[in-house]
Amino acid sequence: MIHSIEEYLDLLKAELQGSDSATIQDALADAEEHLRAALAGVRENQPETSEEAALGRVIEQYGSPDETASAYREVERLTPPGLARENQRSESMLVRFFAIFADPRAWGALLYMLIAFVNGIVYFTWAVVGVSLSVSLAIFIFGLPLAILFLLSVRGLALLEGRIVEALLGVRMPRRPKFTQQGVKWLERLKLLVTDRLNGKMLLYMLFQLAFGTLYFSVVVTLLSLSLSFMVSPILEAITDQGVAGVIIGDTRYFLSPPWYPVLVIFGFVLLTASMHLFKFIGQLHGKYAKMFLVTE
Amino acid sequence: MVDSAALTKKFQKEMNAGIASLVLLSVLDKTEEPMYGYQIAKLLEHYSGDAAFMKQGALYPVLHSLESSGLLESKVEPSVSGPPRRYYEITPEGRETLVIWLGVWKQMKSFVDRAVKGA
Repeated sequence: MIHSIEEYLDLLKAELQGSDSATIQDALADAEEHLRAALAGVRENQPETSEEAALGRVIEQYGSPDETASAYREVERLTPPGLARENQRSESMLVRFFAIFADPRAWGALLYMLIAFVNGIVYFTWAVVGVSLSVSLAIFIFGLPLAILFLLSVRGLALLEGRIVEALLGVRMPRRPKFTQQGVKWLERLKLLVTDRLNGKMLLYMLFQLAFGTLYFSVVVTLLSLSLSFMVSPILEAITDQGVAGVIIGDTRYFLSPPWYPVLVIFGFVLLTASMHLFKFIGQLHGKYAKMFLVTE
Repeated sequence: MVDSAALTKKFQKEMNAGIASLVLLSVLDKTEEPMYGYQIAKLLEHYSGDAAFMKQGALYPVLHSLESSGLLESKVEPSVSGPPRRYYEITPEGRETLVIWLGVWKQMKSFVDRAVKGA
């Protein structure tokens, strides 16, 4: 029994393992578009149907993940692979190394690492204030509603962080709040909200985010300024005729002689390219980590 | 022992392979406005009644393959609720091809009918 559209998509992705990545992407987009539209259709026509029954019926009509996967594989087998795939294979290591600048994931990760600093401060402050207020006011009658409101806000922030992670790091994250069971009394629902283990994980994520955000921000700023100054300093030196690129040891300043300038520019560029690879790698790691902490299994 | 259910399923799948393209082209030939996958599936459900001939999920790969051979065109548009939708539209080449395919289908149908009846 499949409980959510996200779960269906994950199963479909697993079934399509080994297929062309574009096929997988198409299959996932098609399934998501169809299932959401179909689910909305059922909800409109038969509002009394429970969420799970509606989803079950919709999936029954759409086809189970393995049926859908086999339909895509069949068509993929019959149509020759796109040109793009062959191009990719013939590219040399060097081209692939510098192609990072055309990779939206690297730029997304760079942006994420900058934003994470601000987010981290906000999340940390919110989590610390919320937890301490909830705990210390627990002896009063209004302590409980406050704690519940705070937990709801954590849910909201986690969803928001998930959207940012998906947009910038390309990791599929939930698009809607967690599936809540219909027809359960609100007291039961409250109990479910308070006892959910996910709350703890989300709070931890919010606390850690300050450390990660600070680390990411310093790494990005250091690497970018270092590599950019390597590239720009010889040009500045040539224009201003002042020693810019040099080292000071004791009282003596050492400068590179002009023939070395191009080497410095190239070194800066290579460092920048390598940094972009590093950003992309960190972005992927962070995406996995976010998925672990913000999504229910 | 013959597993007739599995064999029937396989037979159905093999028949669907070609027919799905014909049906999708015809449906898109008749509509005035571009349609998205769920709309097409709903329309086919209306035609087929209770007997669903193929899973709705199997329509999408056929739509992609018709598009990549130039018989259909598609564009993605944002939707009010949920993810953006891909709208499909038949191309002039698609219409020409459909005329030929309908001819093939007619011949095939009468051939199969006669062979099955044995008259």
